[in-house]
Amino acid sequence: MLRTIGFASLMSVITLTSLNATSATAEPLKVVASFSIIGDFAQNVGGDRIELTTLVGPDGDAHVYEPSPADAVKMSKADVVLVNGLQFEGFLQRLVEASATKASVVELTKGVEPIKMKEEHEHAAEAGGDHHHHGDLDPHAFQSIANARIYVKNVADAFCAADTAGCDAYKTNADAYTAKLDAAEAEVKAAVASIPEAKRTVITSHDAFGYFENAYGLTFLAPEGISTEAEASAADVAALISQVRGDKASAIFVENITNPRLVEQISAETGVKVGGTLYSDALSKADGPAATYIDMMKTNIATIKGAILGS
Amino acid sequence: MKHLLATTSALAVLLGLAAAPAFAEEQTAWRLFVSDHAAPVVHALDMETGKAIETFNVKVPTSLYRSDSGRTVFAVQGKGDTISVLSSGISFGDHGDHGDIKVEAPKLLDVTFEGKKPSHFVDHGGDIALFFDGEGVARIVSETNVLEGKPAVREVATSAPHHGVAVAIGDYALTTEPNFEKPDELPVGIRVTDRSGATVGDVHACPDLHGEAASGNLLAIACAKGLLVVKESGGAPSMEMLPYGERLPAGKSTTLVGGRGLQYFLGNYGPSAVVLIDPKSEDAFRLIELPTRRVHFTVDPVRAKFAYVFTEDGQLHRIDVVAGKIDASLKLTEPYSMDGHWSDPRPRIAVAGSRIVVSDPLKSVLHVVDAESFKRGDDIALEGKPFNLVAVGGSGETH
Repeated sequence: MLRTIGFASLMSVITLTSLNATSATAEPLKVVASFSIIGDFAQNVGGDRIELTTLVGPDGDAHVYEPSPADAVKMSKADVVLVNGLQFEGFLQRLVEASATKASVVELTKGVEPIKMKEEHEHAAEAGGDHHHHGDLDPHAFQSIANARIYVKNVADAFCAADTAGCDAYKTNADAYTAKLDAAEAEVKAAVASIPEAKRTVITSHDAFGYFENAYGLTFLAPEGISTEAEASAADVAALISQVRGDKASAIFVENITNPRLVEQISAETGVKVGGTLYSDALSKADGPAATYIDMMKTNIATIKGAILGS
Repeated sequence: MKHLLATTSALAVLLGLAAAPAFAEEQTAWRLFVSDHAAPVVHALDMETGKAIETFNVKVPTSLYRSDSGRTVFAVQGKGDTISVLSSGISFGDHGDHGDIKVEAPKLLDVTFEGKKPSHFVDHGGDIALFFDGEGVARIVSETNVLEGKPAVREVATSAPHHGVAVAIGDYALTTEPNFEKPDELPVGIRVTDRSGATVGDVHACPDLHGEAASGNLLAIACAKGLLVVKESGGAPSMEMLPYGERLPAGKSTTLVGGRGLQYFLGNYGPSAVVLIDPKSEDAFRLIELPTRRVHFTVDPVRAKFAYVFTEDGQLHRIDVVAGKIDASLKLTEPYSMDGHWSDPRPRIAVAGSRIVVSDPLKSVLHVVDAESFKRGDDIALEGKPFNLVAVGGSGETH
């Protein structure tokens, strides 16, 4: 957790250099995306005008990712670096420093209304049982499709600043993709509406779904906080087991980026079967069910709905 | 995960922390622990002032190792059949939005570990594995218990005395597998055991095993034909052989250090080169030729981009691990030939915050180099033959 804190203070000294707008060139724009979901946004907006490198790939956990010298080389050659911000990428500052990149480092959560970490974890932190700091912001803003639209606009703006000649193309791509996001969001809302209100509490491994909860009206409980880096306390796990036993939680899920041990423990102790895998902080591999952001959101709600209504 | 916290916390403390309460004051403290090549002593120096704090007596001339947390320094005395432990006196408390530093006097703890020919020390997330070659036994202790003066020792025995190493990873222990036919030669593999002592899976082949290091969530063990890369994945550690690349000349690594801040390993490779190892890259091995034979090398735990190598011509070289080349060199000492015995007194390197320190045992001095400018600072005179160095410290708030 200290690493995240160190990053927090140092983000303030990152120089978000503004790349000089370039004229049309045969060279594609070299873009580094910090993790797979941002990579998908970048590809949708950039199309064939960009050369994309994604650091934390499918099923990867950006909270605890360890960047390599090869990542620093990629960043040093980039024109634009797209990151989530809100302290999501604990490795970012080290990598920016090591790479000495001159690229614009663009935080895609700019303009998002951030939410705070869940209260139960804040109280645990006060009791010394957790390592989150007071007022910690939840970085998983991409779990709301409304926020994804903001991410996409920020991507388009960053690409336009770096490649003025391609700006029209980027905006056209962003508009087309945003329309797909709108359609996906309607599907998610309809799926949630079909779940009885009393059944809308579920359990996952870590607090990655706060924005989903706020936007669509499901309640997510988790033994781990907003970063997978801090371990859950026994009291947190016991409280969740009690929730399930009291029939206050309808289904439990593992996540693609976390160790399923805790969730399996809760499942074993309560007899509630694990309802499937939710994609929280990363897309699936190309042959998986959540290889794109839109598929991820659709897959997650389908998994949740299937588990609750099937229970 | 505990391991990740341990390896990254010091870095974060060094790099600076988020806004702290207005009444808190920031304090920086760095201490250097220095052993002597000929005398059974360990000196503790305050690196902020360059002055000696205290000299501790041990049984015989010693090697020094620091724990990941920096709270303890282990004096491994191979020829004295004992390991002594010092409290560094510097500790950090994680308070979420800031880190506290506590600075006390260093002291020799009333804790020793006795056994024949202690050799390798490995700390993994606060579980410290001490290997005793003369018995072929690893003794595993928790640093917290050591500091409390009540070390509960877990022993993991191998089948024969040999020059080995052990690593404690959660409920598992990795120990070297001796060469049964020629026990005087290097081990031939790694065995994983659980807390009951039962072997988990097959022994992982690693002929001529010597050298291990951790970087982030990876552990690397050097073998004749490549590195055994160990990953923690929730359950038992998983291992994969990373063969030396075809483009490398014939050779092998026998000493590894792990990158901090960036995930890589730096190893020796032949007498006049080092190799940068990035296990996740397609081009995993990058050889860096040195102007003369290598004496010692280490990584910079604060400035992740840099590592340092000292060569027998008396030069300290700064390696840019991203570019994969020497980017600066600085003459510090008279030549130290690598001819002669491997354990003759020669310089060693440590990084203490903003300073790189190089021991010069034949001149009774420590050379100090500014880590930012890579320019020489003031030398520190130290009687005897200052040899092994470990640095402990960082910045934090005091209340």
